[in-house]
Amino acid sequence: MSFFSLGHFFKRLPYKQLTRHQNLFTLIKQKPRTQSTTLSSVLIKVSACSSSSSSSPCTSLSSIYPPLAESPYLSVRICCQKLALDMFSEALLCFGASSTSVDEHDNDADENSDKIYIDSIFPECKDVDECILNAANSIGLKEIPCYEVKMGEQCNWIKKAQESFHPVEVTKGLWIVPEWSTPPDVQATNIILNPGLAFGTGEHATTKLCLLLLQSLIKGGELFLDYGTGSGILGIAAIKFGAAMSVGVDIDPQAIKSAHQNAALNNIGPKKMKLHLVPDRTFPASMNERVDGIVEDLSSHEIRGISETEKYDVVIANILLNPLLQLADHIVSYAKPGAVVGISGILSEQLPHIINRYSEFLEDILLSEMDDWTCVSGTKKRAKEDH
Amino acid sequence: MATLKEILTRRPVAATIRLTVPAGGARPAPPVGPALGQYRLNLMAFCKDFNARTQKYKPETPMSVTITAFKDNTFEFTVKSPSVTWYLKKAAGIESGSSRPGHVTASTVTLKHIYEIAKVKQSDPYCQYMPLESICKSIIGTAATMGIKVVKELD
Repeated sequence: MSFFSLGHFFKRLPYKQLTRHQNLFTLIKQKPRTQSTTLSSVLIKVSACSSSSSSSPCTSLSSIYPPLAESPYLSVRICCQKLALDMFSEALLCFGASSTSVDEHDNDADENSDKIYIDSIFPECKDVDECILNAANSIGLKEIPCYEVKMGEQCNWIKKAQESFHPVEVTKGLWIVPEWSTPPDVQATNIILNPGLAFGTGEHATTKLCLLLLQSLIKGGELFLDYGTGSGILGIAAIKFGAAMSVGVDIDPQAIKSAHQNAALNNIGPKKMKLHLVPDRTFPASMNERVDGIVEDLSSHEIRGISETEKYDVVIANILLNPLLQLADHIVSYAKPGAVVGISGILSEQLPHIINRYSEFLEDILLSEMDDWTCVSGTKKRAKEDH
Repeated sequence: MATLKEILTRRPVAATIRLTVPAGGARPAPPVGPALGQYRLNLMAFCKDFNARTQKYKPETPMSVTITAFKDNTFEFTVKSPSVTWYLKKAAGIESGSSRPGHVTASTVTLKHIYEIAKVKQSDPYCQYMPLESICKSIIGTAATMGIKVVKELD
């Protein structure tokens, strides 16, 4: 994986976080009564991997990754008995680990030994010693397993997650291409994306369903609203298919940032595509506290921007069941009478709820399905019964 | 209990990952991010799938997820309902169990609470074939180890 692509979208990191990354320290803790041979082999492994990682250019992280994703975590590698593996993992989770993973291929390396490694992730503030001690005591382990604690490397997992993105052909003549790849078919409609940390990479069944729906609906010159825009992929696709203007809204500031960048990547200016951050109106209150702080600033902006109800020719909302049910009135109010409203992000088993809720507003309901996901589309009823 | 076809087409497993994620709140950030990104799994797909499947639970309930990552970067996961201790703590209205179970009672719950918790647990993939009574008995046992007393009715 070449580092040039990383340098392309990684920007300068504020000083404080830069020092933290350059001090990628390794704490080795040794408990009594453990075999010294296993510990020394583990030590060698640790020093080798830390030296290679410190040379990478990802000491600066992109500004599109919010503080939440950059929050530090502790990565702990624990060596324990194979027999106690399951119970110990569960106990670790109970006592404060965020996650535990066990690699399968470790078995091949050491067939004779009965030890296996657990990679565990802890939030930075946790006292790892105490957690492991409690976990071992709770299941009655005779000896405390040996382990070492490392500071988690942010860019490592982000980089690896990015690696899994390849160009995707949604349908004939429509490709979603990550920023660092070249489009396989230059003639086709190519949507260039930097997936970042927002939803909507084009690989998910719901995104594909919505893109297909959009392709069939947009004839040219429509006004399109993407409710829950994520990476902005649907808004960008609409412009490429010929819509006059796209508006994308989301409750996640991260998504709005990603969408701005993706619009720029596809040479779509702010006149063609507008993006708004809206407060989370669902109950109970959203867990994203940052939105509450921004609400005061944006509420006036929102009123100016998107309180125009009954203005859009096409409205698509690809989110989750609960918000879809709670915000049904709100979402449909943006569509013109006779306009098409598309709803997705629902599993086939959740379909009856959606149909019950939305049949109040929509007629000519059509369904499309892919894997286990469905997309519902209908036209807004012309007679205004609920006003 | 796997069928022969499943065994023949079983993909090689790369790793087994266990996580605790709040229902409907999976995001590609720690703790989900590093744990899954390590194995090059599609974070977005997991987050979306997990959020959709946990819509029926109260938001922010910590769900335990077990993900099986295969060598070809695909994955499967099963979601389990929160642990019995978490339910008991919520039902009793306390933050943590008693420091001296058996001697110091932290709080009390009624039989109705136990019954409700048992019903939720029965919908777990692993408890489906257990009779409700035995699930109740094991929950009462767990309550005893936490120092939570079970009474017939609240006074």
